[in-house]
Amino acid sequence: MSEQNNSENILEIKNIEVVYDDVILAVSDVSLDVPKGSIVALLGGNGAGKSTTLKSVSTMLASERGKVTKGSITYDGERVEKLNPSDMVNLGLVQVLEGRRCFGHLTVEENVISGAYTRKLSKSEIKSELERMYAYFPRLKERRKSQAGFTSGGEQQMIAVARAMMAKPKMLLLDEPSMGLAPQLVEEIFNIVKELNEKEGVSILLAEQNTNIALRNSDYGYIIETGQVMLDGSAKSLLNDDKVKEFYLGISSEGRKNFRDVLKESKKNKGLAT
Amino acid sequence: MGSEILFFFEVVVGGLLAGTMYSLVALGFVLIYKASATFNFAQGAMVFFAVLSFVGFMELGLPFFLAFIVTIGLMVIVGLSTERLVIRPLMNQSEDTLLMATIGLGYVLEGLAQAAWGVEVRRLDLGIPDFPIMFIADAIGIFISALDLTAGAVAAFMVISLAVLFTQTKIGLGLRAVADDPGAASSIGIPLKHIMLLVWSAAGVVALVAGCLWGARAGVQFALVDLALKALPVLIIGGFSSIPGAIVGGLIIGSTEKVLEVYIGPFFGGAIEGWAPYVLAVFFLLKRPEGLFGEKIIRRV
Repeated sequence: MSEQNNSENILEIKNIEVVYDDVILAVSDVSLDVPKGSIVALLGGNGAGKSTTLKSVSTMLASERGKVTKGSITYDGERVEKLNPSDMVNLGLVQVLEGRRCFGHLTVEENVISGAYTRKLSKSEIKSELERMYAYFPRLKERRKSQAGFTSGGEQQMIAVARAMMAKPKMLLLDEPSMGLAPQLVEEIFNIVKELNEKEGVSILLAEQNTNIALRNSDYGYIIETGQVMLDGSAKSLLNDDKVKEFYLGISSEGRKNFRDVLKESKKNKGLAT
Repeated sequence: MGSEILFFFEVVVGGLLAGTMYSLVALGFVLIYKASATFNFAQGAMVFFAVLSFVGFMELGLPFFLAFIVTIGLMVIVGLSTERLVIRPLMNQSEDTLLMATIGLGYVLEGLAQAAWGVEVRRLDLGIPDFPIMFIADAIGIFISALDLTAGAVAAFMVISLAVLFTQTKIGLGLRAVADDPGAASSIGIPLKHIMLLVWSAAGVVALVAGCLWGARAGVQFALVDLALKALPVLIIGGFSSIPGAIVGGLIIGSTEKVLEVYIGPFFGGAIEGWAPYVLAVFFLLKRPEGLFGEKIIRRV
């Protein structure tokens, strides 16, 4: 890639290896780029290394005794290795953690406001930011006074995204926004995410197991397995890729297969055409 | 008959006011519990450490207010070192680990205090007499100690300021967020170490105030450490995470233990106020484990 192309990426991950507790290898070789203003999907099954990759970007790894042992991560022209989560938020990168993680005892409104913690805003500025978020999430406005712990899973996912957006991020990391939600709600949440991307210009890297909906709402996708990138391409090409279809939809004469085997076979037969 | 009822009221009011002193100690526990979900066993030692240092500074010749401010500074330093040396390294460990660490911290503080200032019992004179206020006694016939009344006023002041801090300020919001989910709080950029530092310093100041009031009554001595554990039944009744709970719990413990002591105590040969609160606490644990004001544990299934 040329110099100019590099500067168009808000995030560049180069050949990272991540190890937990000094012994558990979670990610062995992941490289990916997120162009400014785009939505990139990181796809793969349980334990593939999606969450670990996101956490190494947001530097939340340290609190789980994980460490990036090889490679480099550059966010907005800055190496993230020496930074902490608070620095990352100040630089405009916020992660929405897997499982939503709302503050259960705080009200919906307090949850959303807490996202602006790092910004120095006056009471009236917070109010107008809050209204801006409610415009994207009208459901949250209805439930603003409820304790977040008593809201539904979909509402909690909305709280988590709205809370992250209150920091006015340049980039969002979303970890499995579809987890445990009804298909209709998943659709609704992805629509809002796409809207945020278009109107607020926020770049998004999202980790998903729900390949179909993730690719339909992204520009580019990476498929990772056992800590390595197996395949990448534009969302459209991945959606139409036979190998992706076969693996993720489980349509195959010989039953479900490991994605690695699918790739090996196609390499043998006619080479890897991506 | 009239004097019987009057005597009962006197017992209750005396108990309520003594209860505010329990509330004050309990407040220190609530602060730490809110931010790290840990029962801080070192709180009693902090009370002892704070008031012993305060008296020590005065013995060195510092005037009352200067000594008070220097001690506040010292408690902030204690809070700072606790955060840096104990809390931060244990941040990602289980709550049990932190609990054990606070027990250890308690012994270290007790040892430090005694090494620095010696072991003899000191007198602390706040200039407030522990005698009944005569004009109240003359007017309605109830004897109320001036020290008790002051303690009540101080406790009320501390509670109101802490309640404002928790609910009306940005730091309070951050603090409650950290208490709920430190990981999520950190993901939106709330700096955990600042919050912890603030909480431990505030707990130190509360410990100093509680220590002064208790010290003025019972003398500045090692027994203050155990006295502080009276906060345990207070918190079980009021709820570990609730500031109003600490107050109401303190009042309930204070008044019932005095009433029980006076009216039922004689049947047990007296001195039941030492253990009666714990009986009440066990009752609460069985019937309402989150306490009167504690947050119900929310768990989505």
